[in-house]
Amino acid sequence: MATRSRYLNTLFAGYALIAPPLIILVLLIFYPAGQAIVRTVMTDQEVGITAGLTLDRYFNFFADPIARSNLWFTIWVTVVTTALLFLVCFPLSLYLRFSNSRIAGIVQVLALFPLFVPGVILAFALIRYLGPRGTVDTFLRIVFNYTGFVTPYLKPSGIIFALVWDHIPFTVLVLTAGLRQVEDSVIEAARDVGASGLRVFFQIVLPLIQRPLLIVFCLNMIGIFGSFTIPYLLGPAAPQMMGVYMQQTFTDYLDRSGAETQAVLSFLICSVIGALYVRTVTRRRGERA
Amino acid sequence: MKIDPTPAYRQPTIFGYRISTRTLRREAFGIFALVALTLIIIGPMMTVFLWAFAERWRQPALLPTEWGLSYWYETLARNDITSAMPMSLGLALTVTALSAIICLPAAYAFARINFPGRQGLLLSFLAVNAFPRFGLYVTIAVVFFRLGLVGTLPGVILIQLVNTLLTMIWIPTSAFQNIDRALEEAALDVGAGRLRVFFQITLPQVFPALAAALLLTFVSTFYEAQGALIIGIPGIRTMAVLMYSYINNQIVVQYGAVISLMLWLPSLVLLSFAQKFLRGNTVSSGFGV
Repeated sequence: MATRSRYLNTLFAGYALIAPPLIILVLLIFYPAGQAIVRTVMTDQEVGITAGLTLDRYFNFFADPIARSNLWFTIWVTVVTTALLFLVCFPLSLYLRFSNSRIAGIVQVLALFPLFVPGVILAFALIRYLGPRGTVDTFLRIVFNYTGFVTPYLKPSGIIFALVWDHIPFTVLVLTAGLRQVEDSVIEAARDVGASGLRVFFQIVLPLIQRPLLIVFCLNMIGIFGSFTIPYLLGPAAPQMMGVYMQQTFTDYLDRSGAETQAVLSFLICSVIGALYVRTVTRRRGERA
Repeated sequence: MKIDPTPAYRQPTIFGYRISTRTLRREAFGIFALVALTLIIIGPMMTVFLWAFAERWRQPALLPTEWGLSYWYETLARNDITSAMPMSLGLALTVTALSAIICLPAAYAFARINFPGRQGLLLSFLAVNAFPRFGLYVTIAVVFFRLGLVGTLPGVILIQLVNTLLTMIWIPTSAFQNIDRALEEAALDVGAGRLRVFFQITLPQVFPALAAALLLTFVSTFYEAQGALIIGIPGIRTMAVLMYSYINNQIVVQYGAVISLMLWLPSLVLLSFAQKFLRGNTVSSGFGV
């Protein structure tokens, strides 16, 4: 009997200790998100009238050409930025994985540096660096007498450049950690039987780092889709990314239900990727246990 | 018999060392990456640095035409800054402390107490990453608006708390899991009290990870601008939120540059510890990698 009550005490202590953050999680994430989802499909409630189901809010959203173009723009920026990130970070991570030189040490520090630069400072720095009459523009004018520099500031390319900048460290960190799990002997064995570098990469390395690859893909996609600071400060006035559009709808137009619909739509679009992320992480935990 | 693919006579030498063509090609890429990253990552930061110490920077000139510190005095004397700085520091400290009080006991429970549903509940904190961030903030803002929390300090504290949960639970949990239990048991065997074991055996082992989690939380909260913008305006203005208006309204460039450097200080502290965190899996365990 004594052991049983002791076991129950431990159980109780366990649940009591994890309760506070769980309550915060439910109240600040699941409740707001859940009630927003429910409210977007309900008719406006008035006294004495029972609420009904309707998709009007979504029809309104898609009937608005500005809303539609903002949504497409966000998806486009997300896909292009994620693709570019892999294009930049894969060679970097492969290099960092296979080189032990001093150059590799410096490259690693540089690649991880943006981790320590908050979005607002990044935006300010890029405007001064790449903006009209910025450092690059001036440099080209003075040194090469070249006046044709086109600034990416307030253009989609400005958003993409800054988002890539911002996500390089995380991508490199995870890819390099994944690549370190691939043992040298495996790669050498494949090379010994005559596989080319590309073939080794696609047929041996990629399948072995599938898990970190998926995690970094999902987190980058969701992070970029839900970004605000960079598109707000560096992007064009139209089209806008969903984060900027939501903020404007909420703060400037005081249209709360409109902002809510936009938020729920971005949840829906990202839910597939979110589910993939949770499944990928969960699967690993399951295997380990 | 295996034939050496690169016979010695074909290998080029550098400073008398024989270097395989593969290494040579790899390090050529390294140098290319080094130059590209310096231009892309250090360039913008250097520009901010120069602007902060520019008394006057007449275009077109590669460097400031006059150097000086007068904008530092001017910026530090501005009313919006003298009120935002203590606000930012106080907020970041409060949020970090609250987060630690709420999350650290839970992390201990997740790592050490075996209760049903433990894995699932631990994984539920990943939900923070599975939502597009700004969409989540908008739905929280809608709830806060109904509760009258928009523009108030508690509102900003709560929304910033959301960001800290995952870091504050996952990093310490994996640290508590990696503790050498044998040491604790040995101490208990020789008659040490439970509290004494916790403070003298357990705590020192997890201290680096706890310090990492606290520091990361503090710095990321100090920089958090999106949540503070949508919930805090107009009542609460942090340094990071001030930067939005300094960038968009393009007042004196030096103001923005000085604030950027000041905001960047906590990051420098983090950067000096970074090598330690990044070498282990401390940071990546906060993403579920």
